[in-house]
Amino acid sequence: MNCDQLREHYELYALGIAEEPERGEIRDHLNRGCEVCGAGVKRALETTALLGASAPAAQPSPQLRRRILASVGLEPRRFGLAWAPVWAMAALLLVVAAYFTVSNRRYADDAARLRDQSARLRDQMRAQTAEIVRLTEAFAILSGPSTTEASFGGQQPRPPHGKVFVSPSRGVLLIASNLPRTAADKIYEMWIIPKGAKPVPAGLFQSQDDGSAMHVRSGTVDMASTAAIAVTVENQAGADQPTTKPLIVAQLSGATP
Amino acid sequence: MCAGVILPLIMAVYAGPEDRALIERLKRRDPQALAELYDRYGRAAYSLVLRVVRDQSLAEDLVQETFLRVWNRVHSIDSERGAIGPWLLAVARNRAIDYLRSSAGRDRNAAVELDESDHAPLYREMEAGILLSDQVRRVKAAMEKLAPNHRTVVELAYFEGLSQPEMSAKMGQPLGTIKTWVRTALQSLRDELGVAVSSS
Repeated sequence: MNCDQLREHYELYALGIAEEPERGEIRDHLNRGCEVCGAGVKRALETTALLGASAPAAQPSPQLRRRILASVGLEPRRFGLAWAPVWAMAALLLVVAAYFTVSNRRYADDAARLRDQSARLRDQMRAQTAEIVRLTEAFAILSGPSTTEASFGGQQPRPPHGKVFVSPSRGVLLIASNLPRTAADKIYEMWIIPKGAKPVPAGLFQSQDDGSAMHVRSGTVDMASTAAIAVTVENQAGADQPTTKPLIVAQLSGATP
Repeated sequence: MCAGVILPLIMAVYAGPEDRALIERLKRRDPQALAELYDRYGRAAYSLVLRVVRDQSLAEDLVQETFLRVWNRVHSIDSERGAIGPWLLAVARNRAIDYLRSSAGRDRNAAVELDESDHAPLYREMEAGILLSDQVRRVKAAMEKLAPNHRTVVELAYFEGLSQPEMSAKMGQPLGTIKTWVRTALQSLRDELGVAVSSS
């Protein structure tokens, strides 16, 4: 179908109610980088965004902000019983630190140390919460009904080796070991390699001291148009396109569902 | 909706040029940036999700899921040309409708998969100010101008995620009639909003 025939269906596509074959045709045009359909669908998405913004105004509870921020480790979960002992310990350390500071200058060094410990505990909690979110995403990919698995590095003498798991609806999970340590100003970057098109950046990560790494790129993946998952070493800020030879390439053709 | 009610919503969804810096900070995993994202778009997302699911507690759960999803997928939006506000609202709407569909046991094959509409790259080069006051007022006015049946089908599609066959069953009208109403309603909205959007 040509763009003129699809023009009437852009809004239906944006609303999620376009029917076949028009829906598939629009998706194909978008995947081919069709400028006419790209502009038309963007216009339609603007309209649907406005429909969303025109919903009657409502006010969420103040707790919602705290819950969201706590889930990435920015603020404490006020009602999270699982964290209560840790917070109680942190609070106790703070109280003790404050007591020593005020009551006796001889204990100033101890108080400073306790404050440092308290701060470290808070940092650890934030890191743990962020890790929980990441692991939840990884588990969702692993448990996805349509997840495909591909191995890499099996034939090399000193390989980074491991597996990628690709879920069409949930994203890509990379689990690797034997990764060489990168230079201080370098970082690993994962790429989704479409068939016959430029690699798409899929996030930055660092390996652990033992050479292992787990990286999650959430979001949908078009399995039909994806050829491989790759990893390169890039500068700290990452790159729009690979600038070094990939040290990991996991081919998805022939991968096991 | 009167101006007194719509104004706070407009303020909540205002998308200024600082969105670009905010996306960059989110990509650097700065949790404070998530706080700012929530302050900018949290109320709009909540209003939208509440309109879909009509349950405050559930709406808050879905908004929390929305922000975590955006936090985990922010790498996929273009920080130079991406419009994070409209994208976030699309994610919020899709989460809410996914919930409606699963809780109602609706046949997912009969309903269209929504994930296509919240691909971040689609929100590239979208007007940063798309959610500004004038456009929101215009869409509200345009919706009020629609004939009742036409407005209903748009609302069923957007806020309930119903496919056209599902609307036909719900409204007790032939599928052809529903398709005509949908096509006419969208043409009217396009006519009313096309100039506004493109000239913003």
